[in-house]
Amino acid sequence: MTTDINYSDIEAKCLQELQKLKLEEENLVSELNSMVNQKTFIEDKIKGLSGLIPKLKVMKNEAEDLVFTVNDISQSSEKISGKIRKLDTARGHVDECLLRVNDLIDLEICSQGVQQAILDLDYEKGAAHVHRFLSMDQSLLKKTANDMNNVSNMLKSVRTLQEAAAQLRAIVEHKFSEAVNNEDLGSIERFFKIFPLLGMHEEGIKEFCTYLRIKLALTADKNLKSAINTPLADKRYSIIYADTLILLFEGLARIVDTHQPLLETYYGPGRLLSAVTILQKECDNQVKRILMEWTKTRQIQRKIQQITELSRMSSSASFSKIEKIDPKDMDILIGEITLMHFRCELYIKFLQRKIMADIEVGISDREQKEKTLKQLDQLVLNSTLSQCKHDLLSHYLQLEQYFMEESVAKAINMDILEASQHTSSMVDDTFFIIRKCIRRSISTGSLDGICVIINNACRVLENDYCTVLKARLKQGYPSGYLDLSQAYNVLQNSIQQGRLQSGDTEQSRTAFIVALNNADNSTEYVTALCDSIMKEIEAACPNLNANERGKLESCLSGLSSVSASLTEIIEYGFQQLKSTAIKPRINPWMDNFLNFSHQLTEDELSAYEAGESFAQTLIMNLETLLSSFKEILSSNNYDHFIQVLTVEVTQRFEKVIMKSQFNRLGGLILDKEVRSLAGYITSGTYWSVRDQFARLTQIATILNFDQVSEINDYWGNVDGSITWRLTPTEIKSILYLRVDFKSDDIKRLRL
Amino acid sequence: MDDYKFLFKVVLVGNAGVGKTCLVRRFTQGLFPPGQGATIGVDFMIKTVEVGNEKVKLQIWDTAGQERFRSITQSYYRSAHALILVYDISCQPTFDCLPDWLREIEEYASSKVLRVLVGNKIDREDREIPMHVGEEFAERHNMYFLETSAKESDNVERLFMQIAEDLMKQARMTNIPRYDPNSQNINDSTSNDSSCCSRLN
Ligand SMILES: Nc1nc2c(ncn2[C@@H]2O[C@H](COP(=O)(O)OP(=O)(O)O)[C@@H](O)[C@H]2O)c(=O)[nH]1
Ligand SMILES: [Mg+2]
Repeated sequence: MTTDINYSDIEAKCLQELQKLKLEEENLVSELNSMVNQKTFIEDKIKGLSGLIPKLKVMKNEAEDLVFTVNDISQSSEKISGKIRKLDTARGHVDECLLRVNDLIDLEICSQGVQQAILDLDYEKGAAHVHRFLSMDQSLLKKTANDMNNVSNMLKSVRTLQEAAAQLRAIVEHKFSEAVNNEDLGSIERFFKIFPLLGMHEEGIKEFCTYLRIKLALTADKNLKSAINTPLADKRYSIIYADTLILLFEGLARIVDTHQPLLETYYGPGRLLSAVTILQKECDNQVKRILMEWTKTRQIQRKIQQITELSRMSSSASFSKIEKIDPKDMDILIGEITLMHFRCELYIKFLQRKIMADIEVGISDREQKEKTLKQLDQLVLNSTLSQCKHDLLSHYLQLEQYFMEESVAKAINMDILEASQHTSSMVDDTFFIIRKCIRRSISTGSLDGICVIINNACRVLENDYCTVLKARLKQGYPSGYLDLSQAYNVLQNSIQQGRLQSGDTEQSRTAFIVALNNADNSTEYVTALCDSIMKEIEAACPNLNANERGKLESCLSGLSSVSASLTEIIEYGFQQLKSTAIKPRINPWMDNFLNFSHQLTEDELSAYEAGESFAQTLIMNLETLLSSFKEILSSNNYDHFIQVLTVEVTQRFEKVIMKSQFNRLGGLILDKEVRSLAGYITSGTYWSVRDQFARLTQIATILNFDQVSEINDYWGNVDGSITWRLTPTEIKSILYLRVDFKSDDIKRLRL
Repeated sequence: MDDYKFLFKVVLVGNAGVGKTCLVRRFTQGLFPPGQGATIGVDFMIKTVEVGNEKVKLQIWDTAGQERFRSITQSYYRSAHALILVYDISCQPTFDCLPDWLREIEEYASSKVLRVLVGNKIDREDREIPMHVGEEFAERHNMYFLETSAKESDNVERLFMQIAEDLMKQARMTNIPRYDPNSQNINDSTSNDSSCCSRLN
């Protein structure tokens, strides 16, 4: 069996086991040791911790306390804010209560005081009580009444005050009219100030302004009566109605100026329009009355009717039969009208300025402001004053038109030529009248008026004035030789009577020349007139807007068409002069060229140069002609004359040259003669006539060639090339005039 | 600068209230003015239009119809290139006054003035003047005729454009340059400003 199998094996195994266990024991002992070592540490810790326990308990209690407190706080803060809210409403109630109490107290005081004040005749105090009452919130008063037990007391006070207000209103109105009747200025002013306290702004303004109206009417009445009774001999008789109108406007302006501060203080700004609207009614009345008297005294209707008839008749034949009004007699009347018109304009501008400033300060609501401004426009537009102003302007324009037409007609009829003058009196006189009328229109202060007078001036100048000048030139300048300067002197006297006998050559000549000078002088007058009136208008109406300026400029442009007419007339005059005075004289002098031979030998050349040459004779003749005209023509016209003459001379010269034949020496002489002629004419004028000699000079140059080919030095793209005034064909036909040039050479030329 | 070639003056006349101011406003500003007051004296407006590539400046004078302003308005007839005589097709009296207006035109305006008769307010239901009556009147007096509505902008543009075209045609015909090679320009400054327009009348 197995019992004795192997003890040694078993022993070994046991030893092994033992070894294992010993090792294990050792491990455990060391572990145990270390545990024992830790024990004290852990025990220390536990001791420490157990010390904390009571502290934690305290903390827990405290934290619980804290939570409690926080909850508490949050609750109470909620309570507080609610309370504050309530407090606010409460305070509102208190305020309202206070107000109501105050109102009630005041109501009580006022209702008690107002009666006493009325009894004491202390209307200011009474009105102040009413003013206080009116300033109370009436709806609040009603609410108070509902909340109160003691209603009857309060309602009684309200009723008392309402009654007192009505009573005071009646009293103040009554007292005011009493004061007006007694002319008690102190009381008038006293009650004027009380009206607004009683909430009677419009009534106060109405009453007060009605009072002012009456006063104004009285003064105006007195002024008008004294105007009507002004004796003819009085210095101011001729403008007495303008004076009366000015007194009225000045009185009104003074009223506005003195009462506006009062109105603003007691009634507040923004109420001037109401006041002026009432005053305007009286202004309208008075202006109408003054103008009616004026129209009657100055016989305006009759005069207007007369001049309308005259202007209607002037186009028919029986014109001269009607008795005319002397324009001079109208002068003063026109002056009075301009003054009256200007003053109306000035007063309207004054009102607009004042009221607009008041509206600007007093009314802040935009819509309301616009509405009030429109009311102002309507007030001005619909006023009798505006209509009268328009009527005055209409009268002015009709009379001024007549004055201008008639005065200019007179100036033309009484035309006189003073000795040693280039122009006759009608020029100065006419432009004096025109300037006077335009100046007078400027003094009306109406741009429309100015424009119309400018339009009329243009019409009179173009239709009446220019027509006369043109008619005189149409008579023509009689031809036939006579020493003009002599004729001029002799005949100055006869034109003075304005009776030019037809057939009298010298007189006709003088008349013609003077008309030509008049036209020239007039163009200068027109330019000066245009400049000066523009300046004067700018000074008189400094605030023209772009549109008004355009209007004015458009009317002024009418003056440039007068200038254009004058220029046409001058042109027409020179056409006349050319055909009767220049051509007939010049042609024979030029044709004299044909009497000379232009194919000369050297000997003939010296003889020609020693004797009187063609050019010398011509210049001498021209000198005589020019000097006679130089004396009598204005300097512009004289220059014009030289221009016309030069054209004639050069054209005729060309013609006679083309009819002649030249040799080399003939061409040489021609060249010299053309130069001396050009030199002579150029010296006589500041106009450049050199240009007019260009063709002639070129012809002479060609005829002065040595040979045909010389043209190539001047023609085409070469250094010496000139601006030709002659066509290639003309050049060739000129070259043919040289007898010594071969026609084949000329034909071959390529130009 | 203005660079127009032609400048024409157009004057509107006719009774107060026929719509002259409205016609001018409609044409120059493209609007129908609400409740503006009656014209005082004369008003002045400018509009530049184009006719066949040419700029034409129209100077439009709107006159007051009332008698009171007659001496102002009459003074503008003479320099007018065109006169527009307006009546209200819904108002017989404004038509009945036409002969008076013609007399005035005859007396004060240039004989060459272009005359146009205009019946305004054709938008209105209560017409009193049939179109053919206006037409016949115009024909009898040698005038152009047109019916318009300033309110509805009917024919307004056409009215003024027609006038501009006609005046331009007229100006071109009268202004055929009379060039005379023999008479050199003696006064240059004037030959320039004798423009078409100052020549017309
Ligand atoms: N229905 C209508 N009313 C017009 C027309 N044109 C003008 N009106 C009215 O007619 C009135 C007078 O117009 P207005 O232009 O001041 O006339 P004026 O005095 O000729 O300038 C105003 O109330 C305008 O509204 C139109 O074409 N149709
Ligand atoms: Mg109008």
